Amino acid sequence: MIVAGRDGGEGVRLVLETEEAMLLSELADQVDSVLLLGEVDDPALGRLLPNAYPDDVTAAQDFTRYTRDSLVDGKRQAAQQVRDATAVDDDTGLVQIELDQAEAWSWLTFLTDLRLILAERVGIVEEGSDESDETRDDYLRAAYEWAGFVQGSMLEVLDPIKG
Amino acid sequence: MTDTLEHLDTESVVNTAIDMPWSTIVWDDPVNLMTYVSYVFRSYFGYPREEAERLMLRVHQEGRAIVATGNREAMERHAEAMHGYGLQATVSKAAP
Repeated sequence: MIVAGRDGGEGVRLVLETEEAMLLSELADQVDSVLLLGEVDDPALGRLLPNAYPDDVTAAQDFTRYTRDSLVDGKRQAAQQVRDATAVDDDTGLVQIELDQAEAWSWLTFLTDLRLILAERVGIVEEGSDESDETRDDYLRAAYEWAGFVQGSMLEVLDPIKG
Repeated sequence: MTDTLEHLDTESVVNTAIDMPWSTIVWDDPVNLMTYVSYVFRSYFGYPREEAERLMLRVHQEGRAIVATGNREAMERHAEAMHGYGLQATVSKAAP
C-alpha cells in the first residue's frame, strides 16, 4: 500500500494491491453488517455507540433515542463508501483511490470503527482457551494492526507534523 | 430569619444553575491512535494544535479530559459528534 498526498490538492491518494483492496472491501462490508444487524447487547456496538450518561439511565435512553439512528447512518455510509471504493471485479493489479478531505474523514472514521469492532472481537476470543480460535484471533489481530497502519499513514499525509 | 434564609436558598439555587454548566468528557480508549484523537479535536472543535495535543495527552495520561463546557444541548451535540468519530464521550454536569 502507498499513501501519499494528492497533486495540487487537499486529501490523500491511496494505491492498494488487489488483495488489500479486497480485504478492505470485505471488512467494510462486515462493519456495515454489524451496524445493520448487530444485536443491541453486542459489546462491539457498545464501542461504536457508547453510553453518554453512564450514571443516569433515563438520560442515557433519551440520548440514545435521539442520536442512534443518525450515528448508525453516518457510520454505515462511511463503511459503504470504503466498500464501494475498494470493490474490484478481478485481479487487475493496483487499485488507485483519490480521496478529498471529506472522503478521507469517512475513511478515518470507518477505520476507527473497524478497529473498535476488531478489538472487541479479539478481546472476547482471548477469554477462551479453545485452540481453534487462535487462527481467527491472529487474523483479527493482523487486520487490527493493518487498519491502524493505514489510518496512521493517512494522518501523516492529512496532518503532517510541522517542524 | 426565616425569610432571609429562604431568600439565600433561592439565590444559591439560581447561582448553582448558572455556575454549573455541563461538560463533554472524552475517555481514554486503548484503540484510538493519539494522532487521530488530536486531529479530531482540532478539526471538530477548531482548537489550535497545541491545545488539541494537550487535551489528547490528558485523555491518554489521566484517562479522561473535559473537552468542552456549556449548556446541556451543546454538550450532547459534542458527545454525539465524538461518538461519530469513534471516541468514547460522556455528558455530565460540571463539578462545582
